[in-house]
Amino acid sequence: MSKSYFDETHCAIGHPKSTFMQWMLTVDHKRIGLMYAAVMFTFFFIAVSTALLMRFELFAPGQQFIDGDTFNQAFTLHGVIMIFLFIVPGIPAVFGNIVMPLMIGAKDVSFPRLNWFTFWLYIFGSAIAIASLFTDAGFADTGWTFYAPYSLNTGTNVIFTLVAAFVLGMASILTGLNFLVTIHRLRAPGMTFFKMPLFVWGIYATAWIQLLATPVVGITLILAIMEKYFGIGIFDPSKGGDPVLFEHLFWIYSHPAVYLMILPAFGIMSEIIPVFSRREIFGYRTIALSSASIAGIGYLVWGHHLYTSGMADIAKTVFSLLTFFVAIPTGIKFYDWIATMYKGKIVLSTPMLWAMGTIITFAIGGLTGVTIAMIGVDIHLQDTYYTVAHFHYAMLGGVVFLFFAGMHYWFPLVTGKMYDEPKAKIAFYMQFVGFNLLWFPMFIAGFLGMPRRYFDYLPEFQIYHQFSFFGALLFVAGLVFMFWVFYKGWTKGEKVGPNPWHATTLEWHMPTSPPPLENHSKVPYVDFDPYEYHHGEPVVKFDYETMRRID
Amino acid sequence: MAHEYIPEISTDRDGTEHVVQGWQDDFYGGKLGFWLFMFTEVLMFGAMFLVLTYYKMLHPADFVAASASLNRFLGGTNTVILLVSALTMGLSLLKMRAGDVKGAKLMIWATIILALMFLSIKAVEWTAEYNHGVFLGLDALQSGNPHSKPFGEILFFGMYFTMTGIHGFHIIIGIGLMVWLLKRINAGKVSPEHHILHWNIALYWDIVHLIWVFVFPYFYMIGAASGGTGGH
Amino acid sequence: MIDYKSERVMYYKVLVGLLLLTAVTFGLPYIFEAGADLPAQMFIAVIKAWLILMFYMHLKGEKLISVMGIFSLMIVLVFFIIVLVVDVANFQFKDESHITAPQHTTGVTKHVTVPVKH
Repeated sequence: MSKSYFDETHCAIGHPKSTFMQWMLTVDHKRIGLMYAAVMFTFFFIAVSTALLMRFELFAPGQQFIDGDTFNQAFTLHGVIMIFLFIVPGIPAVFGNIVMPLMIGAKDVSFPRLNWFTFWLYIFGSAIAIASLFTDAGFADTGWTFYAPYSLNTGTNVIFTLVAAFVLGMASILTGLNFLVTIHRLRAPGMTFFKMPLFVWGIYATAWIQLLATPVVGITLILAIMEKYFGIGIFDPSKGGDPVLFEHLFWIYSHPAVYLMILPAFGIMSEIIPVFSRREIFGYRTIALSSASIAGIGYLVWGHHLYTSGMADIAKTVFSLLTFFVAIPTGIKFYDWIATMYKGKIVLSTPMLWAMGTIITFAIGGLTGVTIAMIGVDIHLQDTYYTVAHFHYAMLGGVVFLFFAGMHYWFPLVTGKMYDEPKAKIAFYMQFVGFNLLWFPMFIAGFLGMPRRYFDYLPEFQIYHQFSFFGALLFVAGLVFMFWVFYKGWTKGEKVGPNPWHATTLEWHMPTSPPPLENHSKVPYVDFDPYEYHHGEPVVKFDYETMRRID
Repeated sequence: MAHEYIPEISTDRDGTEHVVQGWQDDFYGGKLGFWLFMFTEVLMFGAMFLVLTYYKMLHPADFVAASASLNRFLGGTNTVILLVSALTMGLSLLKMRAGDVKGAKLMIWATIILALMFLSIKAVEWTAEYNHGVFLGLDALQSGNPHSKPFGEILFFGMYFTMTGIHGFHIIIGIGLMVWLLKRINAGKVSPEHHILHWNIALYWDIVHLIWVFVFPYFYMIGAASGGTGGH
Repeated sequence: MIDYKSERVMYYKVLVGLLLLTAVTFGLPYIFEAGADLPAQMFIAVIKAWLILMFYMHLKGEKLISVMGIFSLMIVLVFFIIVLVVDVANFQFKDESHITAPQHTTGVTKHVTVPVKH
């Protein structure tokens, strides 16, 4: 049995003997990706618990378990963790690290030591964010958006959270930078941009957003810190500062950040659909270029968060129009995926189930997004549960569902073992049903006027909150069950070869399973398209020792 | 580690061999990475200029008045110092590439000294402003007291101290980087054959200068025509 | 490998150019009225930046990628500025806004609405 990346590694400093230190100092992209996953899902479960706590509180009108201030801190904690610690770094840091270099036939990312440093920067940032929970002032109660002037006046520990968000932003920038250089420089010979797998395209578009949008929020947070410490007045209306400017600067980053989350997720979808349809992807170039154009247009639409904040009407109109344009490349992707499945030999494995479930949930999330992109409708629906349901359908039902799809898809690659398929499918159905039961009633409640971020509500909304509550229970049960299936799969699962799904992309052509330390035994020459199937069988075959084609 | 790196060869179906670019010894990749990093610097300062432009549009007269009270002589001196330091840094890189390691180190020392001069002048300037009662957290820049300056001036000085402060912070980081570079040169890790670190630190120094090229006229010169106190 | 002499001459030439432009910067206030010289100042700054980018930062003769990157960056920044100008020029709530109140006449703030805690 040859050695896998679990057995040996390169380290950033020296070469320690102990296994623990080898993990801490590792520069291997696969190990770093795994460590990201471990930390991220720990935080994910903390945030899920706070969400569940809020659901408990909202089960009936009036105060049950927590008071209003704690509720404010709870949704801030939920938002900060989910956005800054989980979903923004999420797919790029985990699968971008583990899979992307394998897909382009590289030995590692361009700057392995920087990658290691970035991981620890991420840990450092997370530690600062969590530390404010244990200070006297307590965790911030501003919501994850830190809107001025409230964030400047509140007595809670906003500074810690701002600093944490800045540090995490730096980590995000460095990840993006690393991936951009990797994709530009380290593709295997012969692999042109239009021969890259679509997940790499997703990561590429994402990396540009990480690089070019994050600095804006970074400096905004610094200005907010300066404001809080020195009172420079930039966002403080009593000194002539404009709080709306904070919202502008904040959303200049945070709106592209939404596409930063979804683009790699779309990349995972574009990997899974052709593999489990056993068919070449329909419209490769349109999917690749739509990723790029979503990233491009995504920069120019931030104003739709500010329809009710005080902005010139002409600017609102322009932003509304531009926002509609984002739906076009997204729609193109959806048609391409469905066209790929048409006349394919569809294999309903768990990853495919997650992908198809996402087509439904994200379609709902996306289309409701178009409705609130209209200025008139948004005036009614801004800051209601409708908006909350919309972005949870898009984020949880889009990004996180596809994250889970990717976890099922690449599980055999990372661990060399297979989870229990029937149980994983049960977990999917539990979460899918629970998810819709949790969020769909919120569309109705929001439309009828239930505002977000309130810990109390009028009795007529109770029925929706109770539906949501039971949906949440079912969803969390499915979530826990899914991770239990993963755990069982990793410890007791059946060993599988390098390519259990009959996939075509390079990460499945490894000499061993799980992959060895420096990836492919030889760098292949890429003279084929990423998804070539003929009568339901992969066209390209390799001799895994020499990495020469043998078909 | 990078020095004994031999690139791998990949063979296509016709038997033609292709050299594989590894992450080791990738000069162009290192340069590209640093350029991407500089984009983020530009965007950070770009966002601050955006804020500045916005408030200048709201309070044009206040901005001119506040700018007129800055010390243009010291600011101009600093501009020239940074200009010359960009030259010395560039020459040090040139000497390194031409194989003159000793000359390169000398030029880096010159750059460090110029950077320290820049910081000292900055310190003199800020002290004078402090003594005039204009500094972060002082009454003049807070609202609702008899010394309060008008909105536009509060915002101007708020941005002035923030932006020149962050720029000064970059200078300090730059000095640290240059000291580290000297250490690496002495350790033989940076040599005429492997000078990517030197190249990137030279780029860093240029971007710091580049930012000052915009910061200087925006703060110091817009009020120059109205005379003003010029910091006296 | 590299032409040391000609490159050194280039560095000095660019230095002279930058110094001259800096001198022009100080001359401009004598031409323009107070507050009106910002566009001219920024124009000179752009020329200086171009000199630094092309020669000191060796972009001249560089592959297209860097230039493209800078170009796209410019576009984004210009877009931000355009949105800002459009928004400020067409802002319809000026009369109700507290942040643009004239301050010179009284010298005392009239519109202290949100006291700041520190």
